[in-house]
Amino acid sequence: MISRVADHCFWFGRYLERTESTARMLLVTQNLALDGELSARQCWRPLIIVSGEERSFVSSHGSDAMADAEAVQGYLTWDEENYSGIKRSIEFLRENARSIREVISLEVWEVANELHLWINSPAAAAEYRNHRYGFFRHIRFVSQLCLGLLRSTMLHDAPLNFIWLGVLLERVGQTARTLDVHHHAFTEIEEAHQVVETSLWLSLLRSCSGFEPFMKRHQGSVTGEAVASFLIFEPRFPRSIRYGLHAALWRFHEIRPPAEHALPGAGTEERLKELEHWLRAQKAGLKPAGIHDLLTHVVDETAGICNVIRKELLGVG
Amino acid sequence: MSISDSSGLFGSYSLLSGTFDEYFSGAGTVRPEFRQAVASLSTSSVDEFQRCQALAERALLNQGVTFSVYSDNRGTEKIFPFDLVPRIISSRDWKHLDEGLRQRMRALEMFLSDIYDGQRILQEKRIPQELVLGAKHYLPMLRGIRPAGGVRVHIGGIDLIRDPGGVFRVLEDNLRTPSGVSYVIENRLVTKKVFPQAFDRARIQRVDLYPSRLAETLRSVSPVDAAETAVVVLTPGPYNSAYFEHSFLARTMGVELVQAPDLFVENDCVFVRTTRGPRRVHVIYRRTDEAFLDPEVFRPDSMLGVPGLVRAYAKGNVAVANALGNGVADDKAVYPFVPEMIRFYLSEEPILEQVPTYVCAREEDRRFVVEHLSELVVKAVDEAGGYGMLMGPQATASEREAFRKRIESEPRRYIAQPRVELSTCPTWIPEARRVEPRRVDLRPYILTSPAGPWVLPGGLTRVALVSGSYVVNSSQGGGSKDTWVQKGEA
Repeated sequence: MISRVADHCFWFGRYLERTESTARMLLVTQNLALDGELSARQCWRPLIIVSGEERSFVSSHGSDAMADAEAVQGYLTWDEENYSGIKRSIEFLRENARSIREVISLEVWEVANELHLWINSPAAAAEYRNHRYGFFRHIRFVSQLCLGLLRSTMLHDAPLNFIWLGVLLERVGQTARTLDVHHHAFTEIEEAHQVVETSLWLSLLRSCSGFEPFMKRHQGSVTGEAVASFLIFEPRFPRSIRYGLHAALWRFHEIRPPAEHALPGAGTEERLKELEHWLRAQKAGLKPAGIHDLLTHVVDETAGICNVIRKELLGVG
Repeated sequence: MSISDSSGLFGSYSLLSGTFDEYFSGAGTVRPEFRQAVASLSTSSVDEFQRCQALAERALLNQGVTFSVYSDNRGTEKIFPFDLVPRIISSRDWKHLDEGLRQRMRALEMFLSDIYDGQRILQEKRIPQELVLGAKHYLPMLRGIRPAGGVRVHIGGIDLIRDPGGVFRVLEDNLRTPSGVSYVIENRLVTKKVFPQAFDRARIQRVDLYPSRLAETLRSVSPVDAAETAVVVLTPGPYNSAYFEHSFLARTMGVELVQAPDLFVENDCVFVRTTRGPRRVHVIYRRTDEAFLDPEVFRPDSMLGVPGLVRAYAKGNVAVANALGNGVADDKAVYPFVPEMIRFYLSEEPILEQVPTYVCAREEDRRFVVEHLSELVVKAVDEAGGYGMLMGPQATASEREAFRKRIESEPRRYIAQPRVELSTCPTWIPEARRVEPRRVDLRPYILTSPAGPWVLPGGLTRVALVSGSYVVNSSQGGGSKDTWVQKGEA
């Protein structure tokens, strides 16, 4: 597969996952804010931090705006300067799709293109104004449809492997950052009422699509430790960090079988494998105080792995 | 057919005087060979038709069947306006065109081989030598190089118009990178999707076999066995106005779409960079201008292109379609001599008519042209897309004066032709909510392999959507139609 095309595939996957994930978090937070148990700042500030855009948000909107639901939602949805916002993500995802139009299926292309046409239409702006829930739900629905079509309409070979590698690494980073920010915020709430704390952990699970899967594993007993452990280590939950790393390593071996030493990618293989092994070894004896360090390591290493992939396989740098 | 039969969609249709209409031989009288087709089109009411037309536009936009607008740096894309009323060509007319186009392509192919070799036609003084060797796109450094497979115009597009007598005439040849074939196929798909009730299924030749015929043609000139051949389509990238088509062709042929930085040359062979290391390329269907193909040869100052590509080409290690240097044969000042090429190389009389042409490089022609600017269409010999053109009868006095000066200072760059009244075809005009006559042309596509030329039964019908306009180019208010070539009697 041509390196430049693989690069577009990889980024198509990353932006698609980012679009879905941002829309899902906004949807969940809206729901949480309606419960009224948390201050607006406690609800909305984590979203800005998870997106990694705290500095630029504060410099353009001021620190107080992190308590302003409209400002946060507008920034994460429409802001042209916010490169991880929904509008920009859709633009990039569609631009990448257009560059690899000949490798993705017609169905995937049509869905990506229609999402792009819709977000730029007056209909989308009206939906955002009048029916916020429906707006985010539509984006989430269409990007999930696209994720499904990738697997059900494309050849399962190199292009899909690169797209999915992008999806998985983006997802690992998102889950790690989301958990880290929430975990940090919860420890700040002094003597939190247990109901409040539980509702927070539940909303975190929902924003990772993990509510029902968690309940199936834990039969209703919700503690911070159990939730964190689930999102990090649960091997059968498709959004856990462990699952994401394991699946990413599997995809990578499809692209570059470990036995074929002469192919480019030795550095990626080594780092990805190392991180996957390291994470598994952490499960025993992890203390709540160690969670932040663990998640920071995952976020840094994931970014590092993306860079090595780009150097070794995608002809960048 | 009586007036009552042309009711419905065509009820208020009135002909444009002085033109040949593709559907009607007189007011309310449909040409006999199209009666059945027009009858099924007429069954739609205006409302139904309007709904189908809107559906068609929506489908093209959603599928991203678009071209980029150069003037807009935000990378805006538009659909090539599509008109749902098809252009129909009878089997008899098509047989004539098919024969004429194949004859023309064979002669042009032989002309190019001759010009880049012995130049027999110039030595025998059948075409003025200075006109050919002075063409901007003649590349003397390629003389003596025989391209892999021996073919030079793998893909040709020949623009035809139809005069008031109904005679098809060649307007110009496109032998470098003719575009538009993807719209031929997409237009057909959309028509079948949104307007199935009118599609005359049993009697229209299919166009969807083009991509596989193209892939066969490209493999037929490969330096290695066809089964081991790696074909790529080379595009300037997503910001090129024809990017949709580049991607479409790669996709429908099942080959890779590459950009110049994906390719490199080693030991006079071309390779593509892949995620599994370098891989050999044998045939390049290039949709880039040849000036940006190889900086070693064409533009030492340019960062664009693949250094060494021409060396690999000269050694016969890679086939490039279309061949380099073809521009000498579609130069508009060489065009008047194509009938002479047909007589010279094939010892046949030309089957297709042309448009009378004044070559400003010749003194007596030039004198006539500058004295009759208000009656003539003047064209720069090396431009396309409707640019570098003067429509004499519509131009202002100062525009004509500007062209007179240009012709006097660079006569070799200009030719002139009388303005031909293009034929008209019924076309949906949304503002008027009815069908009106608009001028059309036709670009058929011809694929040539070592076994000879093949003509796609159909082609791109472009239509000047603006009332009174003669300009069919998409950059200047033109649109396109599905083109139905009727099957012959079984």
